[in-house]
Amino acid sequence: MSPFHPSFEALHVNRRSFLLQSSYGFGGMAMAMLHGQSQAATTALAKPDHWNGALKAPHFPVKAKRVIFLCMAGGPSQLETFDWKPDLKALHDKPFPESFTKGQQLAQLQGAELKARGSFTNFSKHGQSGIEVSDLFPEIAKQADKLCVIRSMQTEQINHDTAHAFMNTGSIIKGRPSMGSWLQYGLGSETEDLPGFIVLTSAGKYGQQPISARQWSSGVLPSRFQGIQFQSKGDAVHYIGNPDGVCQSTQRQVIEEIQRLNGFLAEEQNDPEIATRIAQYEMAFKMQSSVPELTNFSGESQATLDLYGVKEPGDGSFASNCLLARRLAERGVRMIQLYHRAWDHHGQLEEAMKDSAATVDRPTAALIADLAERGLLEDTLILWGGEFGRTPMGQGSGRDHHILSFSVFMAGGGIKPGMTWGSTDELGYRAVENVVSVHDLHATMLALLGIDHHRLTTKFQGLDVRLTGVAGKVIKDLMA
Amino acid sequence: MRSPLLSFALLFPAVAAASEPVRFNRDIRPILSDTCFHCHGFDPKTREAGLRLDVREEAIRETEEGALPIVPGDPDKSEIILRIFDEEDPMPPEKAHKPFTPAQKELFRRWVAEGAVYEPHWSYAPLERPALPKDEAQGNPIDAFIRAKLAEKGLELSPAAPDHVLTRRLSLDLTGLPPAALNGEASLESLLNSPHFGERLAVWWLDIARYADTVGFHGDQNQRIFPYRDYVINAFNGNKPFDVFTREQLAGDLIPDATPEQLVATGYNRLNMMTREGGAQPKEYLSKYGAERVRSVAAAWFGSTFGCAECHDHKFDPIKARDFYELQSFFADMKQWGVYADYGYTPEPELKGVNNDSPFPPEIEVESPWLKQRHAEAVAALEKHLAETTGRLAGDAKAVAAQSEWEESLANFLTKHPSAWVPLTNGEVSLHKDDEPIENRKPVVLNGSIAADKPLGKGETLVVTAMAPDAIAFSAIRIEVPVEGRDDAKLGKAITLSLEAHAADGKIRKIGLRTGEATTKRPIHRGGAELPGLESEWRLPTSIEPGQPLHAIWLLNAPLALKESEKLVVSLGGDNVHPVKLSLSPLAAADPLELASPASLAALTKPLSGRNAAEKTLATTTFLLATAHDSIAADAAHRLAAAERALFEGRTWTMVTQAAAKPLEIRVLPRGNWQDETGPAVLPATPSFLPGRLESSPEKRLTRLDLANWIVSDANPITARAVMNRLWAMFFGTGLSAVVDDLGSQGELPSHPELLDWLAAEFRESGWDLKHMVRLIVTSETYRQSSVFQQKALEIDPANRLLASQNPRRLEAEFVRDNALAIAGLLQSREIGGPSVKPYQPAGYYEALQFPNRDYIADTDPRQWRRGLYTHWQRTFLHPMMANFDAPARDECAAARTNSNTPQQALTLLNDPAFVEAARVFAARLLADKKVTTDQARISAAYRIALNREPAARELEALTAFLKTQQDHFAAAPEEATKLLAIGVAPQSGLAPVPHASWTQLARVLLNAQETITRY
Repeated sequence: MSPFHPSFEALHVNRRSFLLQSSYGFGGMAMAMLHGQSQAATTALAKPDHWNGALKAPHFPVKAKRVIFLCMAGGPSQLETFDWKPDLKALHDKPFPESFTKGQQLAQLQGAELKARGSFTNFSKHGQSGIEVSDLFPEIAKQADKLCVIRSMQTEQINHDTAHAFMNTGSIIKGRPSMGSWLQYGLGSETEDLPGFIVLTSAGKYGQQPISARQWSSGVLPSRFQGIQFQSKGDAVHYIGNPDGVCQSTQRQVIEEIQRLNGFLAEEQNDPEIATRIAQYEMAFKMQSSVPELTNFSGESQATLDLYGVKEPGDGSFASNCLLARRLAERGVRMIQLYHRAWDHHGQLEEAMKDSAATVDRPTAALIADLAERGLLEDTLILWGGEFGRTPMGQGSGRDHHILSFSVFMAGGGIKPGMTWGSTDELGYRAVENVVSVHDLHATMLALLGIDHHRLTTKFQGLDVRLTGVAGKVIKDLMA
Repeated sequence: MRSPLLSFALLFPAVAAASEPVRFNRDIRPILSDTCFHCHGFDPKTREAGLRLDVREEAIRETEEGALPIVPGDPDKSEIILRIFDEEDPMPPEKAHKPFTPAQKELFRRWVAEGAVYEPHWSYAPLERPALPKDEAQGNPIDAFIRAKLAEKGLELSPAAPDHVLTRRLSLDLTGLPPAALNGEASLESLLNSPHFGERLAVWWLDIARYADTVGFHGDQNQRIFPYRDYVINAFNGNKPFDVFTREQLAGDLIPDATPEQLVATGYNRLNMMTREGGAQPKEYLSKYGAERVRSVAAAWFGSTFGCAECHDHKFDPIKARDFYELQSFFADMKQWGVYADYGYTPEPELKGVNNDSPFPPEIEVESPWLKQRHAEAVAALEKHLAETTGRLAGDAKAVAAQSEWEESLANFLTKHPSAWVPLTNGEVSLHKDDEPIENRKPVVLNGSIAADKPLGKGETLVVTAMAPDAIAFSAIRIEVPVEGRDDAKLGKAITLSLEAHAADGKIRKIGLRTGEATTKRPIHRGGAELPGLESEWRLPTSIEPGQPLHAIWLLNAPLALKESEKLVVSLGGDNVHPVKLSLSPLAAADPLELASPASLAALTKPLSGRNAAEKTLATTTFLLATAHDSIAADAAHRLAAAERALFEGRTWTMVTQAAAKPLEIRVLPRGNWQDETGPAVLPATPSFLPGRLESSPEKRLTRLDLANWIVSDANPITARAVMNRLWAMFFGTGLSAVVDDLGSQGELPSHPELLDWLAAEFRESGWDLKHMVRLIVTSETYRQSSVFQQKALEIDPANRLLASQNPRRLEAEFVRDNALAIAGLLQSREIGGPSVKPYQPAGYYEALQFPNRDYIADTDPRQWRRGLYTHWQRTFLHPMMANFDAPARDECAAARTNSNTPQQALTLLNDPAFVEAARVFAARLLADKKVTTDQARISAAYRIALNREPAARELEALTAFLKTQQDHFAAAPEEATKLLAIGVAPQSGLAPVPHASWTQLARVLLNAQETITRY
């Protein structure tokens, strides 16, 4: 019997269920209360035990303890980032050979006359490793020897919404848990004061696409594993601020009074949910101070702010979010996902790519360097990439969606640094060597976190649901 | 983590006591299903060694290798038993990571020894009403079944809950509202007959129907569907038999002479997520919609999981891929689009002009009682305002003088222009591009009509530059498309209008348009909703009855008097090609089309002394609106008129099912791949694994109505079971089969299979009478017993599946909200139904939404305090309060909600302005009762309202002390009290801030208490 089968948990979390599983791990206290020791139990144990994850022991050596996914939402062009194609440039504006495209699914270019579009930018080799990076990313290029660039990614979904779902959950079926929820569920959280899966969003000037809260849903896993989106306006977390006119000490008085009434109730009612509720009010109160502390950058030096290119701390920019990501990593948040909505360049590719690249280049490089500096990069896995790539064929002044080839990079967290993996054909149309599917990427990431992707499952509607569906292979060559 | 089998054993400690026979469904099937069927089940593609264990005939037959898998009665000769006990090469194999426990091995051996008796899967087996347990033939049959099972374990039902608990339980369970909100009408029958009963059950069904106000994919635009929600509420309130309810939703449009209500019901089929994303392939999305519909229909009516069969035959259930596509095929006749837009790469002529603000056809126009009521109020409010204002002006000497002066100049004007319109024919006509004249093109001017020489291009306008045609101030402009020169069959273009006054010295002033209206028009939408009246654009109807008048009239923001040096510049844009005539009028009216009506002209041309009261009001109203003599009153009148217009006389649009010209061809898609056309084409048929199968023939294609009729026929055993199981979960927290969305082999054998079958049979035989079933459940002793968990039951039945006590249950998200608002006295619960509403929501929450960009503006009128089920349901960003309390986004059918207990819930109750405001208003309600004079009496009153009981001594004592700390605090910091009391748009109480704030804090404590959000 696999040691972490989730039993009925995801199916019916009712008041009894947490006697059987540990939920926020409250079983001991609840039993004490059921046996009539409630008042003492309430006071002594009013703190949720830590969820230590469904995995009692890692399946593989743990290389990474947390993930920062810098999601370049909209789908950046691989041809202007990491996949240098001189032959495509030579063919620029000429008809794109039909032998490549026949019978393939295209998005807006379906049925249109197809012309090659060469990269408008140049590439150069960087670092000891000589990784080729486009000139649009000078700062990331300086980190080349820390990167593992995959140039042979493929996905199955050609539209944003479903492609994000596929990248996050390995499926387009609704109710599949997001990667961050799987990590929370499997490994638990290293922080008691903050949610273990946090999502930040920012947007650029060009190529914005919407993003849904579904992308960080815990799906069929219990909702406590869902991602919590930090808002860029107002309170970082919904309802984290006290009402106007209520200071922290009066809020405390209110909470203590709620706890007192709930304690009385626990004596009458024998309902274990009461104890959990009491614990959650304590947790909520703690978050009311830990979240503002987290988002307060006044302790960061000017040098650090400059390194990231933060103009206004907490302004919701990608730069500010990258610095916040480091602070979250320091505090033990398991999964930190940044969406930068700026990469859907159907038109104005040149202006748009320049603008979007300039926005993310410095903060991304800063995050890698800063984590390395603080000794956190070795167990923090960074993933940078979009939900799909762009066509080597032009679409007006831009590029259309493309699923047969795109590039991502990883850094830190047990990855082999300074390498590239896989390649595409001479025109960058299709990944041909060492093709990496989204499932393979997930399997490899889970392996770095010590998880066998076959064995992190939950039971739902008769299936053992997992992040990698029925596919996925670990790419050992990428692991240090 | 515990294994499912261990959990199962805990839930059903009854399994296989050595003295009783092993039962296939209870003991063996769950193990086979979890462990063996993957390789030895229905699916030939994954079957190993040619061995099938799901069918007895196969399992006892000699395999190709000459082994006998099962020899009934002789475990030692049975290959599977030998392998199960084989240490070296065990079954299940180690690589499956699912080893058997010794107890499970022993179970198998005993089962084979006892003859290896199979049973059909319980939920697919024909439904027959079981006999009641023998010794319990009296009383409520539910109790008989429950008592019998309890007795087997030496347990009994708990005593009845105290009256105050039971009253609150019934009230919350049957209406979602606390007793305090129901004016003491707490008898069972009054609860069942309360209009809130329908609202409560609607929450249950709307999850299943995946009701939402937005389309879900990509831009997640608004869709128009709330009349369907009204339909559901009314259906439960009117106790519509469930078979009728089923038929109307799946196939209301196919019922002969379908009523509007039956058409509205078919909105159910349209509640799948939809897309308008540029680049999306229609065929791909049609396949997604079709697949979702199968999953949702199967979940709603079969409690079954068809999802897997989209790609392959189900591994554990006899559901085949073909079943999936045959079921989908019933819905292939629906008119729908894969991508709801007319993009260049995928032209859809019927959707021409559709943009991100457009609705999602097909829709029908229907009346909404809620809107109709609002419309009547709006009409009355405007009339009242005009009556008051004109009355006031009639008594104001200055106003009377001004009116008479204006009427004099008007009389002068009317002698020249008796229609009250002066044509604007005295100017120069020219064509412009980007405000510069186009040199080499000439407009067409004929008989006072003007037209461009050819359709206007981008940035091009047809411009009239004219001196004022009269000295009088103008209040309105009209564009007429005269009968001469227009093609009545081919209109359908747009005209845009803008006005400026150009002075000789080059100064330009913009002349604003207040609003307009046209005799006929094509609607313009914003955020999916139709704009009332006209802004600057008028979309001509596509066609018009020959000879009918066609014009639009706009009111100006302010009366226009041109200075001597000024010229009026009228610019017409848009792609209209028909000649038009322009005119100006000095009159105005609340409804632009009523301007210069015969009645108003008659009133105005009569001498003052000859006017009757109505004529006086009409004349003075016209004066007021034309001259804005009292600009505040005039603006208010226009505002009220705009509010009325926005209600469209109480009519609205709603998505429905309509038949397409030709059904889509549905093929079995290998691995669910929409691009793979190698699978066989299929026709509608009911699931092959359920009894009474209906199949289409080449001559007769089955319809959605056939499907609905079969679902509610006696042949189908599963629907009544699925519905009763979910209904049970509503009143006990857990279904009789706990996995309410999977009654298949991966679900759970019911804790009380006979009771579930009895309920299902009763439901069907009662004429699918849902209220009857609810009544039966809530009058049972099982329902009415105390929810204090019995100590003795803890060891025997820790999950309380045998129901030795009721289960407490945290209220669903909607009712957490309703309850707090009802306690406060804020809840607007008098009216039922109507459009979705917008409670407070954190700013910027929709920031990541686009196409179009979204701005959430919370309601500031009584809609702010409507019940939670009316909350605007944005699929991609569900309201945070709803999401925090486990309401599903409703992307697909959600038959069961989780019931979590999180810090986010604590933060919501503590800090969401909706709850802080409720506390403030609750406190004011308590303080307003002057009969109550002591703090303690007031706290007692609070408990009666919030919890339907008196506080205990220690609660009184604690809260009295707490109140004192708050009073001391706010007395020292009164500015904090004022800040706290400013939260929310509910009217201020006028109470002294310090006591009010202190009581608000106490009210917050009560609204946060676990008891308040839990139904015990």
